[in-house]
Amino acid sequence: MTQSSAPKISLQNVGKTFTVRPTKDAPFGSTLTALDGITLDVAAGEFLTLVGPSGSGKTTLLDLLAGLTRPDTGKVLLDGKEVTGPGKDRAVVFQQYALFPWRTAAANVSFGLEGPGKDGKRLSRKERAEKARAYLDLVGLAGFEDRYPHELSGGMKQRVAIARSLAYEPDVLLMDEPFAALDAQTREQLQEELLRIWRTTGKTIIFITHGIDEAVYLGQRVAVLSSRPGRLKELVPINLGDRTGDRDVRSEAAFVEHRHKVWALLHDEVLKAQQAGHAKILPDGTAPDEAPQPISGKAA
Amino acid sequence: MSAPTLTTDTHTTTQASATPPTAGDRTRHKNPATVTALSRIQRGALNGGRALWRAGAILLFLLLWELGPLYLAPSSTRVFLPPLHDVLASLGSLIARGQLQNHLAASLTRSASGFGIAVVSAVVLGLLVAWYGALDRFLNPLLEVFRNTAALALLPVFTLLLGIGETSKISIVAYAAFFPVLLNTIAGVRTVDPLLIRAARSLGLSNFTLFQKVILPSAVPTIFTGIRMAGTSSILVLIAAEMVGAKAGLGYLIVNSQSSFLIPEMYAGILTVSLLGLAVNYLLVGVERHFSGWRTAVGVGNG
Repeated sequence: MTQSSAPKISLQNVGKTFTVRPTKDAPFGSTLTALDGITLDVAAGEFLTLVGPSGSGKTTLLDLLAGLTRPDTGKVLLDGKEVTGPGKDRAVVFQQYALFPWRTAAANVSFGLEGPGKDGKRLSRKERAEKARAYLDLVGLAGFEDRYPHELSGGMKQRVAIARSLAYEPDVLLMDEPFAALDAQTREQLQEELLRIWRTTGKTIIFITHGIDEAVYLGQRVAVLSSRPGRLKELVPINLGDRTGDRDVRSEAAFVEHRHKVWALLHDEVLKAQQAGHAKILPDGTAPDEAPQPISGKAA
Repeated sequence: MSAPTLTTDTHTTTQASATPPTAGDRTRHKNPATVTALSRIQRGALNGGRALWRAGAILLFLLLWELGPLYLAPSSTRVFLPPLHDVLASLGSLIARGQLQNHLAASLTRSASGFGIAVVSAVVLGLLVAWYGALDRFLNPLLEVFRNTAALALLPVFTLLLGIGETSKISIVAYAAFFPVLLNTIAGVRTVDPLLIRAARSLGLSNFTLFQKVILPSAVPTIFTGIRMAGTSSILVLIAAEMVGAKAGLGYLIVNSQSSFLIPEMYAGILTVSLLGLAVNYLLVGVERHFSGWRTAVGVGNG
């Protein structure tokens, strides 16, 4: 544990409120508090997983970290400096891969390498191709350089997306339910690969998931968010020892214990979210469930 | 459906017979060579049959054109609807005299210039309109009015203002080809997957780079659909414009032949127009396919 240095990422009392578009029922619009008073430090090289019921603002939090939106209250600090916009020191991996369909796997990976790098230098075409090949190799896709995304399976697409975000060498990897769309077997395989990549590259990873197993298996700590408005309910440290090797970590008693702890924390919040009918907050800040619904209630 | 199944079956057997054939193979096919030959004939027949069926309607139409005027129509009609061989003969003599080439060249020059002007200006304006919401709100009502005004309705205006020379024809072609490209460019830019934009934004891309690297490539297939539609309508409008006032061009050839009572030549002109339209369409479909390979392939992969 590196306790000497300041935290890599520091969230200080972060809150985010959206203005909901005016509707017929609420002609002046309303506000929606997605996140409220989140305070959290993440150490350099840490693997933090983030769970919470739907609508708890997980993706909003990730957007704030990525610099795609700005918080309304509080501060998001990266290396002690406030995050004011997106940058190449952070990379985002999305659930739906977000690969550019007109680019081959290698061209997708080198997307972030085009243009000036962190040190202001530009890479030549050859250097980019070499890097792309190296990172495709790292995610286990050597030989698939010239394939287009539509020629790849879901798992392979996500591997390409991970390679793309690693290629420009960010310090922080922000992952938004990256394995949610994959089948169980591929997911497990990619989880192991991700741990291997994390160990070899030493990145700081913030990984959003709705899977408790996934959160416990991957994370060094699991942050549990409450239902809307999203607050940090608890930070659960995970101590499963070394996860390398062929052990079936998921069926060990320690894993089950941790899993149950997170499950219990999450369970109440999921129930609350369900009763409130919360659904996902869309990227533009609207939530379909948030509008007052006296009329639709009568109709139903 | 049985033929393809048989074919694949034979393939596995031929491969298997490279190694010592097993008893199972021998019982299934006594003589693989005969079966292969047979299936090849079947497949050939099937393909031939399909090709014949696809060409059938065209052949039937041509046959009707040839025989109808000779045997079905009264002789007075035959003057206005000459059989196919008469038309082809006059087409041949038009080519031999070099007249058809001249008319074709005149038409092609006009439509290509008008089409080119339209594509360039419409793509540029479309990108601007799609990118700047304020410009869109300002221009959209006017564009709607123009779009819903048939190009040919404005032909008299073009002729009055620009004369009967090349300028008015090129302008009307450009006008007609402009809107399909414009609307498709706007639609193409608007329908870019927002997730791709988010992904690119998370890299800190500037607006210009985002446009150049994400929005434009993603919109290209849609833009090309518009360009293909514009190609068709540019020829359509040009022919009509040439019929009204021109001294050369395929439209002029048709109308002039009609008024000079050279009926087979008129049909030869019409035939040329439809062949030209087909050729242009195929060309543009090819170009479209080339530029949107990644998108069409998605459809193939899913289907």
